[in-house]
This record gives sequence, structure tokens and C-alpha cells, in this order.
Amino acid sequence: MNGSGELSDQLSIGLSATIREFLRQPINLAFLFILPPVVITSYGSILSTLPETSMATSPGAMGATAGTLFVAAFLPAVIGLFQVISARRADDRLSLAGFPRNVLFVTRLLAVFVSSLLTATISIVVLTTRTDVHAVLTGGCILVFVGVLYGLIGMLIGAVLPRELEGSLVLIFLVDMDEALASGIMETDSSLTKLFPLHYPHNLFQAAVEGNALATGDLIAAVLYGVLLLTSVLIVYTQLTERGGVLA
Amino acid sequence: MSESRDQSDRQSSDREVVLHGSDLHKAYDSLLPFSRSVSVLNGADIEIQAGEILGIVGANGSGKSTLMKLLVGAIEPDEGAVSKAGRVGWCPQEDLLYDRLTVRETFRLFGAGYGMDQDAIAAACDRLASRLDFEEFLDYRVDQLSGGNRQKVNLSIALMHEPDVLFLDEPYTGFDWETYLAFWDLTEDLKARGTAVMIISHLINERERFDRILEIADGTLTDVTDTGSTQAGGAGIR
Repeated sequence: MNGSGELSDQLSIGLSATIREFLRQPINLAFLFILPPVVITSYGSILSTLPETSMATSPGAMGATAGTLFVAAFLPAVIGLFQVISARRADDRLSLAGFPRNVLFVTRLLAVFVSSLLTATISIVVLTTRTDVHAVLTGGCILVFVGVLYGLIGMLIGAVLPRELEGSLVLIFLVDMDEALASGIMETDSSLTKLFPLHYPHNLFQAAVEGNALATGDLIAAVLYGVLLLTSVLIVYTQLTERGGVLA
Repeated sequence: MSESRDQSDRQSSDREVVLHGSDLHKAYDSLLPFSRSVSVLNGADIEIQAGEILGIVGANGSGKSTLMKLLVGAIEPDEGAVSKAGRVGWCPQEDLLYDRLTVRETFRLFGAGYGMDQDAIAAACDRLASRLDFEEFLDYRVDQLSGGNRQKVNLSIALMHEPDVLFLDEPYTGFDWETYLAFWDLTEDLKARGTAVMIISHLINERERFDRILEIADGTLTDVTDTGSTQAGGAGIR
């Protein structure tokens, strides 16, 4: 078999294996379909008990929006984490057999993308039942982006800290804090908050929900953040997994 | 016995060396406080020739699996070097497979890794399933197989690309008697084709099946083919 034919075979077989593995785990599907409505409804209900303010958005709608971003980020993150951890040792063997690490990375990323797409679709539909969403398609695309962003972070944590419980705890605190900072629920003057993954996507999503134009600066910053994260995770993942998970 | 050993020695000197590991050192360090650094290999030398069956025996924790991982390339030595000629097959002690893929899908995935085309993968799958008797389980998911059948698949994945050197770490764990015999038939066939087979075990039965047996102790390897085990108290070889 020639080089490019071999690579395309490896890619298609790897993608098909990853998707089969993902779909054959019932808990993945259960989480994808159950968690978004539960989280979005809960966030919306909890914040709707707060008194109305002079802001254009009601507390209930703010809560539902925050819940939507949280769930769109958290689920793909956990899926990215578990994918890397659960298959880690078999991935090592597959890699020793000659399967390229970067192809393996692409197949894992695809599963993250599929889970992000599903979560985003369900989440935006649930959000429309709680509040008016002016640009549904744009909002959905931003949620997919958020899912991929946090899916990459999940993969990164899985490669660096290959423990399911600890990794999940890190993710849940990170996403929660990130969303609280981005939404302004937790007020701070620090410009360091701009370094958190949800800072720019939150602004974009809020604009999509309210029907405002997306700020070009936020859009460019979010895309740059995504590219940087993708590159860093690819490097760390391939380097770490080549060394059997040991940072050298 | 001694005459056949002499004949084997003469043949052995003519064989091509397919793997050479020299002055291998490996220690496991930990970044955590209060944990020890463990030195596992301290200058181990090993040479494997085409068509030989080599046994590695040693007490628990003596470094057998570490040696195999170094030779396969799964980990890097701290010092020393390993050179290999030809394709390598590795059957690890634990079956490192994807639980939610079927046996056939597992062959397809690893076959793609080895660079085999679809026809060669299907042929290898059928050949090994027939030889090790797991044809009826080809469409079962790996996590639905018994321990013995998982081990058969684990072994088959190491063999499917017809390697020149085959590393087997405790390969017969979970095998029933019939499978154990089938395993040795297969190993003899590989030997006849010129494949070098290295078997690691804490307990080597039927020593006459091996061309050479090395014992690992204190981080180095000693040839105990004729003398029997020294530091494992003789319990490792029967």
C-alpha cells in the first residue's frame, strides 16, 4: 500500500472505530440527551428567583443562557477526557503497531466534534423553550465551538492527568468558574479572566441570543484562542502519549 | 540431549541476529514525595536470533516486563540501545484492546496500523481465528469475550502481520489445555519460518521447547539454559 493510501485507510478505519466505540457506550448517549434539559432548566429556575434588575435580560433568561454554555462546554470536555483515559493503553499499543499518533488525535477530536454538535443542538433547542433566541443557527455554531474548545481541554487533562475522578473534578470546577466569570455573575476587575476559554464565546453567544451583531474583536479573539489551543493540545497529546504518558 | 544441544548451538551460531540490546539500564523515578526510585535493569545485554525460541524467566518484580517493553520500544532505556531488524510483534501481559470494538473491527484497526490492506487483514483474521479456535466470536465485542478468548485475540493481534520477532509476555494466561497445545504448534511453525520468539514467564514449563533460557535477576541477564535457574530458586523453570 502506498503512503497516502495507507494514511487515508488509517484515518477512515480509525474514525469508524472511534465513532463505534462512542455510540456503543450507552452512558454517553444518556448524558447527551438528559443533561442539557436538566442543567438549562435548573440554572434558569434558580436564577429566576432573583429580583428583576434594570438589565434587558431577565435573571431567568440569564441563568438559562449560562446553563446552556455550561452544558455545551462540560459534556464534550468530559467525553474528551474519558476518551483519552479509557483508551490510553490500547492507544499506546496501536501506536507501537504503526498507527500514527496524529491520526489517532484526529479520530479522538472527531468524536469530540460529534458530541459537541449533538450537545449544542439539544441545548439550543432547550434554550429556545426558556427564552427568545434571535439567531438560533449562529448560537448553535457558537455552542459547537465551545464544545470543541472544552473537548480539547478535556483531552489535554486526560493526557496530563490520566485519572477519571480527578480529571472530572478539575473540569467541573473549571467550566463552572469560567462561565461564572464570563457571565459576570462572579464580578472581578482582573483582566486575567480574558484568558479563560469561555470569555469571548460567552460574549458572542449572548449577542446571538439577544439578536445583536457579533463583535469582530470577540470573534477574532475566540478563533485565535481555538487555534492556539488546538495546536498546544496536539503537541502535548502526541508528545506525552509517545512517552507512555511521562513528561520528559 | 547434550548432542542435540550441541547441534542447536552450531545452528544458532549461523543464524541472523534480529534484535540486539546492549547495556540496558532502566530505573523508575517518581515525582511524588516519600516514594522510592526503583532501579530495574542494570546493564542487561540480550541478542535474539532468527528462528529461535528464547525464554526469559525471573522472579516477580525482577524486570521481565520492563525488559520486554524496552525491546519492543514501548519505553526508552535510560542508558544503552536496542537495534532491531524486521517487523516486531508484541503480545503484552494484559490484553491491551478496545473493549467496545468487535474482534473483527479490532483486527481491522490494528491491521491498518501495521499498514496491511483489507484483503491481507481479512486473511490474517480468518487464519488466526481458525488456528486458535475463536471463529464464532469474530463479531463479538471484546468486552463480551471470556478471559481465554481475549488472550487469543491479544496474541493474534501480535501475530497478524507475520512479524520477524515476536515478544510474548506471559502468553498462556487463561488458555485451556487445547489452546496451550495449539499455541505451541503455532510457535513451532513460526520458528520453522524463521521468526524469533521471545517468551517471558515467571514459570517456564517444558524447557525442552526453548532453544535458550535467560534468567533476569539483579537487573542483568544470565544464560541458564543448561544450568537451570539460579536466583529464582529453581522454581521458575521446570
